[in-house]
Amino acid sequence: MKNLKTNNFLYPILFTLIVTAVTTFLLAGINHLTSDAIALNEQTALRSTILYVFNIDYPNDAEKIEEIFNQRIKFKQVGEETIYYIEEGDQIAAYAFPIDGVALWGSVHGYVAITSDFSQIIGIDFVSHSETPGLGGRISEDWFKEQFRGLKLENLAEGEYIRYRPAPGGNVDGISGATLTSNAIRDLLNTSIHEFITEQRGQ
Amino acid sequence: MDKRKVKEIFKTGIWDDNPVFRQVIGICSSLAVTNLLMNSLIMGLALTFVTAFSELTISLIRKFTPRHIRMVVQVLIISAFVIIVDIFLKAYYTEMSKALGAYVGLIITNCIIMGRCEAYAQSNPPISSFLDGIASGLGYTMILLMIAFIRELMGFGSVFGIKILGDWWTNWTIMVMPPSAFFIIGVIFWWARSKTEKKKEEKEGGKVTA
Repeated sequence: MKNLKTNNFLYPILFTLIVTAVTTFLLAGINHLTSDAIALNEQTALRSTILYVFNIDYPNDAEKIEEIFNQRIKFKQVGEETIYYIEEGDQIAAYAFPIDGVALWGSVHGYVAITSDFSQIIGIDFVSHSETPGLGGRISEDWFKEQFRGLKLENLAEGEYIRYRPAPGGNVDGISGATLTSNAIRDLLNTSIHEFITEQRGQ
Repeated sequence: MDKRKVKEIFKTGIWDDNPVFRQVIGICSSLAVTNLLMNSLIMGLALTFVTAFSELTISLIRKFTPRHIRMVVQVLIISAFVIIVDIFLKAYYTEMSKALGAYVGLIITNCIIMGRCEAYAQSNPPISSFLDGIASGLGYTMILLMIAFIRELMGFGSVFGIKILGDWWTNWTIMVMPPSAFFIIGVIFWWARSKTEKKKEEKEGGKVTA
């Protein structure tokens, strides 16, 4: 063995190849075994977000969430985005659309639901963000998100629907100690909502 | 393996040669993930798992590993275990995977793992290497939990997410931010080192050695 190691220049290459092959096969196997569970987790997370923004109650159970989701929610593809909507009778009652942008520390991804007459927000939720836990990260806390439920969409200024108190006409509270995150979220919501409404009206 | 040796390995890893305050490695993650106790605990356990199994594997193949490529092999093995942890959290513990985010993947850059693999597993038998990994991991987890306890208590008024301090408590914003960990880690170093220095002094009959 000793002889092989020092004298043969192929030995290190072969050794690395074997180690790589073994670890790769191991990981591929584990990945294969868990991929269903991971895909289900991701789908459940997305479904519960959509249900949350539409203010539909759901139990903490993946199958039940799927059932309710399939019953109530429909979706269509607009360009690259998937727009979700709920119907009442044969009429579309509300839309939920994705919002993507940057906050203080990184990208934010979430959903906003608004009524089909564009008069109120039904709810907002964030799927992912990288804000500081306890500060900017509080955007995903209920008290912050619940402020947007039933918020009237009035043009405070051109393309401005959300304004933090105590500014005149303010309608929601920002997060103290996280002004930059709060402002980024406000701007993101304002532009996304404005774009969505303009697009929908244009159609 | 006899009991005395096991005890020795654990004593070294957890206190005498603690990775954080003695060897001063693994500092980055001690600063980054310690604002909540739960995150710190999971991080510590994940690191303990990766260190222990990496050391075990590396020790098992140490006699066949050509010396000049040993680090490549170490990185390969460590990354495989890190990916296993990442997959496991994603599949069965989604919330924690979300909370720790990029830090799970970054376990690979934690100097403790490679440091222990290189310093210990490369020249010791598998079982003691495995135990050394557990001991070092626990030493790291212990310090992480100490920092997190202070930060969570003062920054959120809670311990493991359970409110302890009432409404009268004003949360310290700085405790939530990474810089506070610098101060706390400094104080912990000071406390731990003064304790070990004292022990040394007593042993050497009052003689102070640097």
